[in-house]
Amino acid sequence: MTDVLTFSDSPQLAGELTSAAASIAAGAGGTVLSVELDNVREGVPRGPVLLLKSANPITGDDLRIASAVSEASKRMSSPIILIGSTKLGRMVAGRLAVAGRMCALADVRDLKLDSGMLTGVRDVYAGKFNAKVGSPLPCVALVPQGAYPSPGGSAATVEELVVPAVSSGVRRVQTKPSQTSALDLRSAKVIVAAGRGFKTKEDLALVEKLARALGGAMGASRPLSSDLGWLGEEYHIGLTGVYVRPNLYLAIGISGQLQHVAGIKDSKVIAAINKDRQAPIFQVADYGVVGDLYQVVPALLKILGAG
Amino acid sequence: MNVAVCVKHAIDEGELRADPSGRPQLQGAQAKMSTFDRNAVEEALRVRESKGGTVTVLSLGSPDWKKSLKEALAMGCDRAIALSSPSDLDALATSYYLSRALQQKGPFDLVLLSEGASDTYSGLVGPMIAGWMDAPFIGYARKVQVEGSSVGAEVSLDDKTERVDAALPCVVSVVSEINSPRYPTLLQIMQASKKPMEELSVDSLRDDRAPQVTLKVLDVAAQSVNRKKVIYEGPPEESARKLFDALRKEGVI
Amino acid sequence: MKLFYPEHRRALEVFYEKEADNYSGLLESLAGTLEKEVAPFSATFDANAGGIAKARRLLFEQGLCRMPFEFHGGLSLPFGVYLLAMELAGAADAPTAMSLAIHNTVAEGIFRFGSDDQRKTVFGDLLSGRKLASFSLTEPSSGSDARSMHTTATKEGSHYIIDGTKTFITNAGEAEVYFVLARTEKGPSAFLVESSTPGLSVGADIPKLGMRGSRTAEVRLDGCSVPEGSLVGEDGRGLDYVKSMLNGSRIVMGSICVGIALTSYQKGLAYAKERRLFDKKLSDMQVTREKVANMRSDITSSRVMCLYASRLKDLGSEYASEAAQAKVLSTEMATRVCDQVIQLFGGYGYTNSDVHRHWRDARLLTIGEGASEVLRMLIAAKELGASG
Repeated sequence: MTDVLTFSDSPQLAGELTSAAASIAAGAGGTVLSVELDNVREGVPRGPVLLLKSANPITGDDLRIASAVSEASKRMSSPIILIGSTKLGRMVAGRLAVAGRMCALADVRDLKLDSGMLTGVRDVYAGKFNAKVGSPLPCVALVPQGAYPSPGGSAATVEELVVPAVSSGVRRVQTKPSQTSALDLRSAKVIVAAGRGFKTKEDLALVEKLARALGGAMGASRPLSSDLGWLGEEYHIGLTGVYVRPNLYLAIGISGQLQHVAGIKDSKVIAAINKDRQAPIFQVADYGVVGDLYQVVPALLKILGAG
Repeated sequence: MNVAVCVKHAIDEGELRADPSGRPQLQGAQAKMSTFDRNAVEEALRVRESKGGTVTVLSLGSPDWKKSLKEALAMGCDRAIALSSPSDLDALATSYYLSRALQQKGPFDLVLLSEGASDTYSGLVGPMIAGWMDAPFIGYARKVQVEGSSVGAEVSLDDKTERVDAALPCVVSVVSEINSPRYPTLLQIMQASKKPMEELSVDSLRDDRAPQVTLKVLDVAAQSVNRKKVIYEGPPEESARKLFDALRKEGVI
Repeated sequence: MKLFYPEHRRALEVFYEKEADNYSGLLESLAGTLEKEVAPFSATFDANAGGIAKARRLLFEQGLCRMPFEFHGGLSLPFGVYLLAMELAGAADAPTAMSLAIHNTVAEGIFRFGSDDQRKTVFGDLLSGRKLASFSLTEPSSGSDARSMHTTATKEGSHYIIDGTKTFITNAGEAEVYFVLARTEKGPSAFLVESSTPGLSVGADIPKLGMRGSRTAEVRLDGCSVPEGSLVGEDGRGLDYVKSMLNGSRIVMGSICVGIALTSYQKGLAYAKERRLFDKKLSDMQVTREKVANMRSDITSSRVMCLYASRLKDLGSEYASEAAQAKVLSTEMATRVCDQVIQLFGGYGYTNSDVHRHWRDARLLTIGEGASEVLRMLIAAKELGASG
């Protein structure tokens, strides 16, 4: 009998976690509960919900969330706590692990229960290798977006639980939503990404055009958001950026460093345009065009009728 | 101000090769300071430059790990603490021993780290250290400002950026966008060996909260890259047409 | 692109034993900087025939030019460690390395032969990179035959008036200090001429086959008046100083060539392991394996020769012949290896500047800083005495 508790600050991930929980708990009986904070979010299909409430809003604060989830887990015996792998999720998982003296598995998929141990598979060494890792129960596991399908159905039962108010000590002074959401990139089926091959910020309009023509989203490699500051960090795809697995990832003017490839290697089809025949991106692409992006992209746009 | 920065002597993933069975050749593998730790060290140095005080760099052991500490000293840190430990500690144990060292060798006003290690990225050690030390945690800071007895930061989360602050002592993880790390001069590298480096074994740091290492690494295997690697070279219009046809055929556009 | 290899570590262990760890740390750090901030731009420097100033500045800040000197901010490192640093710099971008090497040749000249005042002021400026130096010896009608130079320096009261034209001058137009050889009554003498001196003008950049990132131009001195304190050392002894300065410089050029060859060789190896033909990998073919063995031996032996000559220099031993041998061997080796790598790449080598640039860069160095022919004359003279 294994109980599974799930939580994510991302609605999309929250749904996927219930599929994950179902797949683990399937053979092992036990309760599966997804945790929502402050109020039940609309449109997130899932099963039984435990709604946690407190004197102060819990959402957005790592310690408050962790302590609330920890409270919720007390009603279960040696549970598996699945946390959606977002930046906030990592912070929550870290807090939970220390509070419960539990192991935390990071960015694992293919979760299985094996003789009282939760096992999963994660990327290591910037995606060059896969590691199968395991932990006895109770434990925390961070699950990335896209590892599990979105379940059908809607909220079954909703039970409320009041948890003590806790202060993390971090005060939120101002919040500004990003232009594009990392979460949008994660769910995009087509992504067109720009790299250092572009000479000016204005030239990125080519990428925007192409993304639109293909019905996809725009992304970028790290230099464009960090060194050059042409785009916000939410566009950055890679090991420390967004991890994506679209049907088509088209890398334009991107050399293909390991750190970037770590974020795209599970894409269904990878295509690349780069003028350097030796660029590492061609080692991980299904289709590569060796050529000047300033000529190839307009040609592609013309074919798409968007030139 | 007493600033601490934690660095990891990480496996150089670019240089890591697989053996014939597909497992990583870890024995004798090249290692270096984890890529984004330089940004954390740089930020610690900048805080010292604006507020005065000292910067202590800490690292938990692995073979040759003092090399990364020396690099941090060369960049400008004042002293180093080398924690010797077995190499199979997980994030929970790592964060525990780092927090013990921070408590014993502190008190520190600010503890900085990178958002995650370049070899086994998880982003867990930072919030865990905050957990062990009962301190606030600010994650993914792209700007850090110490003002009096509090620290303010601009943080970038998945779909928003926030301005936050917290009282010191505080643990902060920084993203690589925060700064451009300085390159130590040859002279600074030569002088780094004169700066104090203290070695402690993790055994000496244990108290009754010490966690067991329960994470098991069951297997590590090279990821196979099964890509078609079809290359189109030639006039741009032709290549664009060929690419379009191929992607059409794949059903992705 | 990696620059610091186990072979560099091994060379340090062989030549410096207990100190190898420390020197290794220094060079690895330098390699890290070169890998991130210089090497990625090498192709652009070549394509645009310029732009190395920022890379050069970064290496000045790191202290590359301070390495072999002992005073005024020098790092007192063995010449061989400086050579390996220059090899790494040459592997990252040859024009940048060459520009700094020539600058440092002038620095050595001032240090060894200059006045106390020149050592206190100009030398410090050169080590820190506050001022860039240019070595101006060659003229339109005298390269190897330096003694026949036409540039004159006429004494007028407490000044010298310098008149003449120098050509193929590296760093021309970027330098603040020109080390100019000009003939006084006593013979060729060395002068330090500030770039701001009225009458000094620099011609347009001369397009080159390789080393395109560094500036090369004519320098015209039209009645340039310089104070007598600009004379370096003794009147009439300029060429003696130059002969001595060029010894160290020649070994450095040799090391830069080792770096160029190593970079090219690594690219060739990677390509050979990937390229398939006749159902095999290129690297599995016997003819390729023989080439690899030859290139490997070539590179290692050249490096060792350069380090050997550097140890003689550090020991204070006579080393002009060994320096010349090191340069002849290393520079000729580099064109040989880089040529072979172009061959390995085939059409992709001939059409890709990331491959052929290395051969083009190396090609200069059997000509400049002592043409191979002149150096062979020097080596033979040592063995057989002057020719009759």
